[in-house]
Amino acid sequence: MAEKTPALRQDVWQGTLALMVLKTLESLGSLHGYGIARRIEQTSGDRLSVNYGTLYPALVKLEQEGYVASEWGVSENNRKAKFYRLTRAGRRQVELETREWERTTAILARFLAPSEGRA
Amino acid sequence: MRGVRGFFARLAGLFGRTRQERDMSEELESHIQMHVDDAVRGGMTPEQARREAVRKLGGLDVTKEAVRDRRRLPFFERAWQDLRFAARSLGKNPGFTAVTIATLALGIGANTAIFTVVHAVLIERLPFHEPSRLVAVWEENAQRPGRKNVVAPFNYRRWQERETPFASMAGFYDSRVNLTGDGRPEQLVAQFVMPSFFSTLGTAPMLGRAFAADEGPDGNDQVVILSHGLWQRRFGGDPAVVGRTIQVDRRPVTIVGVMPPRFGLFLKTGTLAGKPADLWEPMVFTEKGAQKSGRYASAIARLKPGETPASAQTKMAAIASALAIQFPERDAGWGIQVVPLHAEIAGEMRSTLLILFGAVGFVLLIACANVAGLLLARGTARVREMAIRTALGAGRGRILSQLLTENLLLALVGGAVGLLLARWGVALLVALSPADLTGLSLLRLSPQVLAFTFLVSVLTAGLCGLAPALAGSRPDVQDSLKDGARSGGASVRTRILRKAFVVSEVALAVVLLVGAGLMLKSLAALGRVHPGFEPEGLLTARVTLSGEQYKEDPPTLRFFAEAVDRAAKIPGVREAGVVSFLPFTGLAAATGFTIVGRPVPPPGEELSTEVRVCDDGYLRAMRIPLLRGRVFTDREMREKTDVVLVSEGFAKQFFPGQDPIGHKLVIDMMEEPPATEIVGVVGDVKHAGLAAEARPMVYWPHPVLVYGGMTLVVRTGSDPAAAAPMLERAIQAIDKDQPLSDVRTMEQWIGASLARERFASMLLLLFAALALTLAAIGIYGVMSYVVGQRTTEMGIRAALGATAPDLRRLILRDGARLLLVGLAIGLPLALAGSRALRSLLYETPAADPATFAVVLGVLAAAALFASWLPARRAARVAPAEALRQS
Repeated sequence: MAEKTPALRQDVWQGTLALMVLKTLESLGSLHGYGIARRIEQTSGDRLSVNYGTLYPALVKLEQEGYVASEWGVSENNRKAKFYRLTRAGRRQVELETREWERTTAILARFLAPSEGRA
Repeated sequence: MRGVRGFFARLAGLFGRTRQERDMSEELESHIQMHVDDAVRGGMTPEQARREAVRKLGGLDVTKEAVRDRRRLPFFERAWQDLRFAARSLGKNPGFTAVTIATLALGIGANTAIFTVVHAVLIERLPFHEPSRLVAVWEENAQRPGRKNVVAPFNYRRWQERETPFASMAGFYDSRVNLTGDGRPEQLVAQFVMPSFFSTLGTAPMLGRAFAADEGPDGNDQVVILSHGLWQRRFGGDPAVVGRTIQVDRRPVTIVGVMPPRFGLFLKTGTLAGKPADLWEPMVFTEKGAQKSGRYASAIARLKPGETPASAQTKMAAIASALAIQFPERDAGWGIQVVPLHAEIAGEMRSTLLILFGAVGFVLLIACANVAGLLLARGTARVREMAIRTALGAGRGRILSQLLTENLLLALVGGAVGLLLARWGVALLVALSPADLTGLSLLRLSPQVLAFTFLVSVLTAGLCGLAPALAGSRPDVQDSLKDGARSGGASVRTRILRKAFVVSEVALAVVLLVGAGLMLKSLAALGRVHPGFEPEGLLTARVTLSGEQYKEDPPTLRFFAEAVDRAAKIPGVREAGVVSFLPFTGLAAATGFTIVGRPVPPPGEELSTEVRVCDDGYLRAMRIPLLRGRVFTDREMREKTDVVLVSEGFAKQFFPGQDPIGHKLVIDMMEEPPATEIVGVVGDVKHAGLAAEARPMVYWPHPVLVYGGMTLVVRTGSDPAAAAPMLERAIQAIDKDQPLSDVRTMEQWIGASLARERFASMLLLLFAALALTLAAIGIYGVMSYVVGQRTTEMGIRAALGATAPDLRRLILRDGARLLLVGLAIGLPLALAGSRALRSLLYETPAADPATFAVVLGVLAAAALFASWLPARRAARVAPAEALRQS
């Protein structure tokens, strides 16, 4: 499984990870770190293999920036866990970043598409 | 914005760490638990599951560290850690720390003190509106190019009629006036200014109003504006003072305003009072008054927008040329000088201060080199510590930042102590400073000065700390940790660096020593100059008569004759006399003249001479020798006659190879001047200062031209200052309303005239002494280090039969080599540097061989002494001991 994709470069990973977290929280509501990590892994079709640990600094950053809020709660398995949810600013940020990302990928796609634009 | 919020969250994260840590641990623990639960459900054993969970997390501690880094500000934290460590580490080595801080404090303190003065004199804006647009306007005589001359009111009025580059202009002059009425009579300085004076400077009175445009002409000039100082001192800062009437020169005038503190304009060129103004009175140049030909006024102007001092100079020069053609008898050979007001006020202090600023910068460089040497030595001693830290995983950057933090801490503490030193230093500077600087009693440690000190401290930390830190952060771990490694391996580089520092200290010290030596020699040369009279034992005091009864000449003459009589009767007084303007006071009068029987020179080439009015007692009391002819007779002292004395220089210049006695001069000092006959020739007097040439001079007996303001000169047998109270009583006995001012001994006047030279030489001497001490300490330090390094070698040499003197010579030779290299670099530097001093030197060439020789001798002695102590230690090395150590 580790062979499927080369690990993403650290800076790219940190940037995209934030959006993945926000998007995950947007669709699933309140969720703990482990849940977010699993969800991202599943959504990517197990194509992303990164350490779960990298998620936590990203969560701290998002919380510091006011996009997510956290509180302690109880997990589905009755484990004490810290739950994260989107704030209002977080919701706006998801929209904003999604648009940004779509635009970026669209532009990049044109560059990367094999010579069809030139024909 | 979010970034800012994040920053503050992290800043806040620096606090409340325990809770954070617990929170984080619990969160990660719950993460692992959930992972384990899932994995166990998937069929793993709990142990396997846990291992897998931790692996998938990427390691528990690594994750924690990453979270911590993100939660807080690792940079600040590390800096804080470094700082605390630095403080501990410096505290453990108090000797080193004290020496380093003291050295830096001296260097930084001296720089701060000088900068305070430089800032106040050269940088700080004048306390006027848009001061860069203000200029002083002078006339300039083609016979004395470059010398600023006071302005003729006639010409001032002609400028006003033309298109000038000035938005506004104001003429003024100053004079001593007597304030009488309630309290002690007091002599004050009044500046007589055109009503446009305050608006040109752009400063409004703090209380009351400025002069109205129609105030100034005779009859409408009974108003006065007080300076802040006079208002505080004489009127107790009473705000109700506006509207009050006071007696100035026995004339009632109404106070209409009070100027704010710091306001004042004192131009050394053109002042008759020699001191800043206490009050202002309005005046105008009337056409009638301006028809008289004298030049006596000063003028300032505000440039029109878009004009520069240079463009104004061009335009005014054109006006001067036009006037010279239109009024050749007045203005042929006269030009105009436009000087930025800032330059006018900074004046000749500018070059002195810049030289001192440069010199004090050298002191700091030497201090830096010294501290750098100390830091290197400390680095050598700490090689093991650094090696251990490297072995434990500290990166080079981490160690470097630690060392630089230490240096910064040293420099900042040094800077703080230096600031304290600077406060005393500034007080000392003010005490030493020449009169031109006394306006700077408001010298203070302003925010700019504090910023300067901080900047210098940080720069110092970088300058003296970078090389040692770089050297110290690169330990050879293997070597240093080996058992028995003595003082570290990478010492060749360190030794070269240390020697380089010492060499540069010596080189810089040469420059400062040469500078100080030249200044001292010049000062001594000045001290040997004979002023043309004997200053020892002379007491002087100025009397300016005011009041109706002295409007006429005879009572004025009677007053001064009686004053001289009474002064001469004071016990201990041998002779007494009066003169219009005393030498060395900066006050003078000069005018044009013609010699009867010779053709009148064309306009612009008139003869000119200094003019003094005195009695014969003055010449006797001053001991100005009579060379030919006779002095004044008693009759000439009482009645108006047609005689004049001339100085030797006057005779040589205008009557070369002739006897001037019997010739007649028409001296243009009054309306319809009479022809006066030369009856005697007296010795030259250096009037404008010891370094200045004695200019041609004529002496009139007092009755010929009666001044109401004269200076009394009294020769005493012993202590002249002791006669001052008796002199004051003698004058008050004649008229109790006439105050004495400027009561000083002649030697005080001469001392004051040398203030600038003494100021510069004392400071340079102080700096040079500092430099020499620091350089000697530096040499001592590096030689001790070398001896320490070579102990084994010395032991072997001793074992092989070298005697103690041999060993001493070996070390001394090493020290001498440092000295020679330092001198080789320093001497050319000193030659270049001393050229900057040339303007301050009197009869001393900048490349004075004697001074250079003395400096070399002093430095060599200091350097050899500094190497001698370590050399002696080297020679005492016991061979067995040294060999065992290795």
